[in-house]
Amino acid sequence: MRTRRSQIALAAVALVLGFLVVTQVRSQSGGTGLEDRSAQDLTLLVANLNTRNDQLRGEVADLGRQLDSIVAAQARGDTSAGQLRADLVHVRIWAGVDPAAGQGVRVMLRGPVTAVVIEDLVNELRNAGAEAIAVGGVRIVPATIAGGLPGSLSVENTPLSDPVEVDAIGSSATMTGTLTRAGGLVAQEMATNDGLAIEVTPVDQLAVPATTRDLVPRVAKPRL
Amino acid sequence: MSGVATRMRSIPVWEITLFLALVSLGFLIAAQVRSETPRVRYTSQERAPLIETALGLQTQQNALQAQILDLRSRIASAEVATQGSSAIATQLNDALFQARLAAGLTALDGNGLVVQLEDALQVSQAAGNADLLVTGRDVRTTVEELWLAGAEAVAVNDERVVATTSIIDIGGSLLVNSAYVAPPYQVNAVGPADMYTQLAASASWVEFVTSRAGQNGIRIAIAQPSSLIIPAYAGSVSIRYAQPPASAAPSANP
Repeated sequence: MRTRRSQIALAAVALVLGFLVVTQVRSQSGGTGLEDRSAQDLTLLVANLNTRNDQLRGEVADLGRQLDSIVAAQARGDTSAGQLRADLVHVRIWAGVDPAAGQGVRVMLRGPVTAVVIEDLVNELRNAGAEAIAVGGVRIVPATIAGGLPGSLSVENTPLSDPVEVDAIGSSATMTGTLTRAGGLVAQEMATNDGLAIEVTPVDQLAVPATTRDLVPRVAKPRL
Repeated sequence: MSGVATRMRSIPVWEITLFLALVSLGFLIAAQVRSETPRVRYTSQERAPLIETALGLQTQQNALQAQILDLRSRIASAEVATQGSSAIATQLNDALFQARLAAGLTALDGNGLVVQLEDALQVSQAAGNADLLVTGRDVRTTVEELWLAGAEAVAVNDERVVATTSIIDIGGSLLVNSAYVAPPYQVNAVGPADMYTQLAASASWVEFVTSRAGQNGIRIAIAQPSSLIIPAYAGSVSIRYAQPPASAAPSANP
């Protein structure tokens, strides 16, 4: 009787032990990172993921049409030079290799503008769907960084004078709304940077130059 | 002394086994409690379906990205196949290859530098202190420092940084190219072999590390793999508003 009771006790402990070992191993192997998010944060995240997936579905559809068009041209014996040229123009504008024009917003920054303020603004414009951005007349591409202290800021060795002008091509309504909403970037930056003034103006037609950087890698090799 | 030995011998084996099992149990319970992630945990019921939805959308996103990369690869192959003997088509294809390289639409392989950013360990004791969490600005600063160190391509948790990339905080999450990335954040770069030397010599990087790791305790680790692959950008490249300026003619030069 005593042996049987000890066996039951051991079995119970072993069961709990096994459960804890598995839980521990699973927690050590890392979760999704979502377990510690509030319901509000998760709702926002789901909305963003939905938007992004819609964009990706649109891209899949566009690429599918493009592939069909090339295959059809092949079947007709065409060289599809027109399609190649259109694709080239598109990719070069998107990359910043060619100049671009279109509707957008002009943002004027006056007062103690810091490199961080410019970087925050560029990041927010990209988040609002900007397709091409220039700061002080310099096209912003991934490695373009504003630097220096207030009063002696520069971008790509081009000095930025007061006021700093930032042009972004994209939906002027979306970008203006994103920047100027209550609690948005403009409000935040003006609240935290004493004396800074930011003015956002929708513009029907803006032009931004091409980058002067060579964006083709010199050391890293393409992996095809 | 012999009394103790006699007493020990009289203890049944099952009691010793049970004792050892309970010690292990105590250890595991303590380890489990300590391994709770540093960010604050919530327990509300409505979160489970939201997490499930987010994970489902993330899975869809991964599948869509794979589809995009596959279609781009097939388009590139088809374009090369159609060039035939046309000199113009050959020239355009070469220009397109260079443009895709410049745009980040091609994966790159090279000397690597990896910077990993993690929340401070003490976050659990000071929940809500934003200084102890890795933020979008921390990741953006790291990306910028890698560009300044000579990087030719950068990715954050495999999301390629391109001309339209934004890195933003949404609640406690980070979105890169509008894709959710989970901590720890790995900022990968390929470029010249002296990238690390350049990074370590950067006054602004030293200031960042001193402030965020030294004072706030976020964990920064660096690795230098001899070979690292930075994936191609797998998002949308559609443009609706930007057009070539009226005076600009299309060029075949990269």
